[in-house]
Parts: sequence; C-alpha cells; structure tokens
Amino acid sequence: MELTAIPRAVGAFVLSAAEPPRAWAVLLSRSARALVRRPPPRDRLLSQMFDIGNRSVVFVAITLGFLGAISVFQGVMQASRVLPDYSMVGATLINVMTREFGPTITALMIATRVGTGIAAEIGSMVVTDQVEAMKVSNTDPVEYLVAPRVLACLVMTFVLTVFAVLVAVAAGALVGYLRFQIGFATFFSMRLVDWADLWEGLVKCAAYGVAIPVIAAESGFRASGGSEGVGWATTRSVVNASFAVIFMDFIIASVIYLVTG
Amino acid sequence: MTDAGPKTATIAGDAGGGAVRRTGRALLDACDVVGGMTLLQWRILRAMIPPTFDYDESLRQLYKVGVLSVGVVVATALFTGAIMVVQTGGYVRSTGTTSLVGWATATAVLTEVGPVLIGLMFSGRVGANNTAELGTMKVTDQLDALRLLGIDPIRYLIVPRFLAMLIMLVLLTCIGDVFALLGGATAGRVVLGIDFRVYWQSVIESHLLDEFLMGLLKGFVFGGAISIVSCYWGLRVEGGAVGVGRAVNNSVVTAAIAIFVTNFVVSVLWS
Repeated sequence: MELTAIPRAVGAFVLSAAEPPRAWAVLLSRSARALVRRPPPRDRLLSQMFDIGNRSVVFVAITLGFLGAISVFQGVMQASRVLPDYSMVGATLINVMTREFGPTITALMIATRVGTGIAAEIGSMVVTDQVEAMKVSNTDPVEYLVAPRVLACLVMTFVLTVFAVLVAVAAGALVGYLRFQIGFATFFSMRLVDWADLWEGLVKCAAYGVAIPVIAAESGFRASGGSEGVGWATTRSVVNASFAVIFMDFIIASVIYLVTG
Repeated sequence: MTDAGPKTATIAGDAGGGAVRRTGRALLDACDVVGGMTLLQWRILRAMIPPTFDYDESLRQLYKVGVLSVGVVVATALFTGAIMVVQTGGYVRSTGTTSLVGWATATAVLTEVGPVLIGLMFSGRVGANNTAELGTMKVTDQLDALRLLGIDPIRYLIVPRFLAMLIMLVLLTCIGDVFALLGGATAGRVVLGIDFRVYWQSVIESHLLDEFLMGLLKGFVFGGAISIVSCYWGLRVEGGAVGVGRAVNNSVVTAAIAIFVTNFVVSVLWS
C-alpha cells in the first residue's frame, strides 16, 4: 500500500496532465475529417467569419494600436541611451511586428474575445441540453458547431493579423512623427524584413488559428451544471488558449531559429 | 437550435440599423460601461473609508487570487523570457554580440512584455473566474439574499476582491519577472548556446531597478483595472447561464483593452 502510493500519484498526475492535449487532438482530427467529408454550408461559414473577424476589428485595432505606439516610444527611449539615431526604429518595429508581436498578440486577443465567445456559446448549449438534442436528431455537434468555427477562425486569424500589423505600424509611425520627428519615409522601411520573417509570421498565424477554436470548443463541451459550469468553461478556455499561444510561439520561433541556422 | 453569435454589444455594436446609428449606439454603450466602472470604483473606495472589510473573506480571496495563480504565472513567465531570448537570436547571429542578450531580454521583460503578458493571463485566470462567480451569485439571487440580511455586497464581496487583486498582481509580477529571466537564461543556453555567466552578467550590469519598479507599478495598475472590470461585469449579469458566458466574454475583452491603454499611459508618464 505504502509502496504503490507514490507511483500511483505520479501516474494520476501524468494522466490528468495528458488528458486535455489528448482531447484537443481528438477534437481537431474529428473537425478536420468533418471539414473534408462535408464542407460547411457557405452562409454558416460566412456568418461565423463575420462573428470572428468583423466583430473583432475594433478590439484588435485598439489593443494593437496602443502596442505599436508604446513599442516605438520604448524603442526610442532605449535607442537614445546608446546614440540618438532613430532611423532604425521603424524598420525594427516592422520586423518585430511581422514575425513576433503581430501574430502572437493578435492571437492572444482572438483567444480573449473569440475563444471565450466560442466556449461560452457551446457551454451554454451543453448545459441547456441543446447539444444532446443535436445528437438525438442525428446531427454531429462537431460537424455542426466546431468545424465551421475552426475554418472561419483559421482564415480570420490571417486577416486580423495583417490588419493588426498595419494598425500597429501606423500607430507607431504616428507616435514617431509627432513625438520624435521621425519622418514617414524613414519610418516605413522594409529593409529588415525578409521572406523568412514573413514565413515565420504566417506559420504562427496558421498554428494559432487552428488551436484557439479547438481549445475553446473543447472547454465548452466540458461545461456542466448551469451558469457555474459555463463560467468555469469560459475561464478554462481563455487560460488554456492563451497559454497554448505562448507555448507554440516559443516552439515555432526556436525551431525556425535552429533550422535556418 | 439557436446559433446566436456572441454579442459583445458594448465593444462591437449591434448589427442592424445604419452606420451612424450603430456608431452612436456603440459610443453610448462604451460611455455606459466606463461610467458604470467609475461609479463602482467610487463605491469601492467609499466602502473602504472605515476599513471594516471581512477578514475571512479577504484571506480567502488572497489565497484564491494569489496562491492559486502562481502556476499559470510561472509557466507564462518562463516561456515569455525564453521567447524574448530566441527573438534576439537573429541579431546575435549576424552581429555576434552575445553580451547584449541579457540586457535586451531583461529590459523588454521587466518594462513591457512581462507585466502585460502576466496581466493578460491573470485577467484570464482570475478576472474571468471572478466575473463568473459574481455572475452566478447574481443570477441565483444570492446578492439579493445578502442585502436582505443587511450585508452590503460591495463591502463584503467586492472590497476583498479589489484588495486581493491589487496586492497579488504586484507580487505575482515580482515572481514572474524572476522566472522570465530564468526562462531566458535556459533558452539562451539551450537554443542560442550562450553561457549562463555571460547572460546573468549582462542582466546584472544593465542596472534595471527603474525598469523593475515600473513593471511593479504596472502590476498594481493592472490589478486594480482587472478587479474593477471583472466585478463590474459580474454584477451586471442577467439571464442565466447564457448571460454568465456573455459577461465573462465582455469582462476579458474590456480587461485586455484596459491593460493595453493603461500600459501606454504608465510608460509615457514614467519616462
């Protein structure tokens, strides 16, 4: 009894830690199969894209705009300690936004707004037995609810990231011009961006765009027991999706660094 | 089968109506939210004037908000520091300046990236939880029950939460900073092949006390913002489970906006 207690505890911990990733993998493969076998109808896909993309535009513009502005501000502050040459601030911002902060912070914002939305919606449907009703009427909830959201979120993550990078760089350029007199021609310099940076950003977009809706939907399906369950599911969704974004960011950046080295 | 989209009426505006009407309605909603939060803050501060908050509830909140968030914060911070180091990799490879990695990472982590990412995770872990909890109490009439017993919900429920988040996010930012630097050191060794000694020397010689203190101030401000935002949306919940989900969604969205806006303000005012 004493001897088996510790291995049993370790085993239980490993199993409980491995459970969410396993559930995500299952849900991902099921929605991918549903997408291939029976693509969602066009109007449902478009309405999901509207919900995920268009309704996030203002939110993403505010957050990434302030991020771009403060990045230029801090960049100039740090540059001025070494030597007062601000000509590289714009080029550096565009580089960092393209491969790192643009995709990652946008994805965190999508996890915050869209991910919690998906978890809350599916969670509400679970606790009001609508998902059970679907199963009874021979509708696959994954095919009906998850597959269109995954596809819409994947597409919209790319769109929102491009938009977010533009907003952040524009806000940064405005701060640079108004506060530090950096000319727009100097600021909008692409000389630090090459194809590898662009690819890094796009790979990140694709990974985040798939992961966020899958993780959020899985949290939603786990909701149980009224409003408390829905609250728990949304909380779990935003923590898991945000952490997944940060984790994947590290993995992708490291792999690209090591591969291109 | 209702497939209604998540309505974040205050942020995105309702569909329908002309563009002018939509913009106007979104602006009015935003004013409503900001005004409601200001009033809530005022009521919290007034409830704190004779400091008679509930001791047990405060301790419970400090534990729930702080101690139970350490895992999430540590994990986030480790990867944040690691990402920052890996991002400097390209410059290091082309210029060979390994001695600057510690400085660049520490500056970015302590001033901007650390507080903001820890704040966002805190908002997801604690703020969302808080909204869901208060919302569940609201829709199950527990707040009215408290009032019936002559207990002020602001004094009993909200003030302990406000204080707990204020204190705990500062402490968590402290812990997070340390673990971010540790994560950076590990990633520097494993991915970039930079010696620990070179990294830590660069961190220590950068004299970043000012940056560290600004990060703590940000933790303080974010903690206050997240607590007010999450309590506001929690107290406003209407309509059962669907309402709770929607309120959590609104709460994390508003908290993210608050974090980025106050981050900008603090950084500009500090320097």
